[in-house]
Amino acid sequence: MTLDDDVKKIFLETFPALPESDFQWTKTQNDYENWDSFAQLNLITLTEAKFEITFSDDEITSISSAKNLLDCIKSHI
Amino acid sequence: MNTVADFLNNSYRAHPDNIAIIDDNSKLSYSELNQEVNNFSSFLNKFPKNSVISLFFDNSCEFVISYLGTINSGCIAHLIPTGISQKNLMEQISSARPKLVLSSENHFPKIAKIESKDIEKLRFSEVKKTSYKDRKPQPSDYAYLIYTSGTTSLPKGVPITHSNCAFTTGNIVRTLHYSRDDIDVLPLPLSHSFGLGCLHTSLYVGSTLIIHKTTEIPQILDSIKNYNASTLAAVPSTLSKIVSNDSNDSSNTLSRLRLIITNTTFFPPETIHKLKKILKKGKVATYYGLTEASRSTFMIFDNDNKIESVGKPSDEISLKLISNNEESTTGEIWIKGNNVIEKYWDEEHTKENIDNKWLKTGDLGRIDNDGYLYILGRVDDLINISGEKVYPQEIERVVKVLSGIDDVVAIPMKHKVFGEVVKLFIKKTIESDISKTEILTHCIKHLERFKVPAKIEFVEDFPRTDYGKIKRFMLK
Repeated sequence: MTLDDDVKKIFLETFPALPESDFQWTKTQNDYENWDSFAQLNLITLTEAKFEITFSDDEITSISSAKNLLDCIKSHI
Repeated sequence: MNTVADFLNNSYRAHPDNIAIIDDNSKLSYSELNQEVNNFSSFLNKFPKNSVISLFFDNSCEFVISYLGTINSGCIAHLIPTGISQKNLMEQISSARPKLVLSSENHFPKIAKIESKDIEKLRFSEVKKTSYKDRKPQPSDYAYLIYTSGTTSLPKGVPITHSNCAFTTGNIVRTLHYSRDDIDVLPLPLSHSFGLGCLHTSLYVGSTLIIHKTTEIPQILDSIKNYNASTLAAVPSTLSKIVSNDSNDSSNTLSRLRLIITNTTFFPPETIHKLKKILKKGKVATYYGLTEASRSTFMIFDNDNKIESVGKPSDEISLKLISNNEESTTGEIWIKGNNVIEKYWDEEHTKENIDNKWLKTGDLGRIDNDGYLYILGRVDDLINISGEKVYPQEIERVVKVLSGIDDVVAIPMKHKVFGEVVKLFIKKTIESDISKTEILTHCIKHLERFKVPAKIEFVEDFPRTDYGKIKRFMLK
């Protein structure tokens, strides 16, 4: 699996109601019906566990799309 | 029957030749047990009535003789769990102030370290018979003293009167239909309230009790098979291990039982279903209680309804749930009845936990419209996430169904935005390779978003009390 695949999988697991066909890298937090602060926490926790990394507070608040998340992960690995 | 001494006396008179106790190496009829107990009691005549005698034994005939002998002499049996640390042992001895500490040969090195001129220390084999003076206890006298496990704080001394024991044992016998024809298998420590209650029950009806030192599954199954046992009392983890072994042999062995009784600790519904299927005609039951208020509710799983409940209050036991100083359908469980202690060994704990004969348990519960009680956790363990109260047990139950999880504890973790979030400590089974992402994905699927853990930590094991319960407060 590529890094892109991993991140896409994390998104689909965090938002189980999101059909795979609706996934877009640039779609932002506001475009998701249920991307609230708890979903953000779930997304971060799942990513940190998957890649064994820890995001800073600034990084956590900056993540508002799949692309943001991918970029943040790349800066850690 | 008003005292524990009466239990033995009555059964001895009614059927002296019935086998009372079987341990790994020996067996005693009621007649032999009665004689041994009287011999032991005679030795204690040198101590004033109501003296504390500390007993440090594994499950064995020696333990039963020492316990009943202590009670028969009008003294108080202080029961020490054999897994106790030296530090906790010293604390209990300092609080209980015994005249004598007695142990089996193998545990003597531990009690030999107790430094006090006022405390005699002996091995069981050193107890010598003298002339016996009848010094029977009264119902209001203390029968035994147990220090609670201290899962949330330091251990508390809980003294139980004969009256408490007589009430609770009668209650168990009536509810679960014990009789002298029963043969009861007990892989539980007699130094704990659950195990000791089973000893009382067998003595009360005059049945045979097979006591095990460990919870080794093959030995338990052998006892059931070889002695044609009718009841088994065990903790849920032991029962789960038994049913996880799907062999026909173990199912056939269990199917002979008329009753399996377990206790409050979370009883996985799948284990209940499997046991019910195996037992066919037999019953599976659980109860809710504390050392301070033994067997307050019973639940017999006659059908698949309310399988997560611990049942309804027993006869003559009142139960209410308090939330924000008012009665509610969800809140802290308060109990009142003849099974409840009047006071703790130390006065400070009485003031804190007993209010006008109501015991404030510190347990959180919910009562449904039919009056069935559900245990939600401990008051102190609640996790407050942005004002939402989360019960750790709810999260733990969701995670425990995953294969590869041996045990799990959810605790609050401070969080800048939400105040608190959930942190999980997980002990994996030996062969497990389950990952944190698998656990989180499972949680996201099965829990509301705010209940999903924000952090997971794998641990080798948990800090535990002398009874093996997890000390949650040490993880916070």
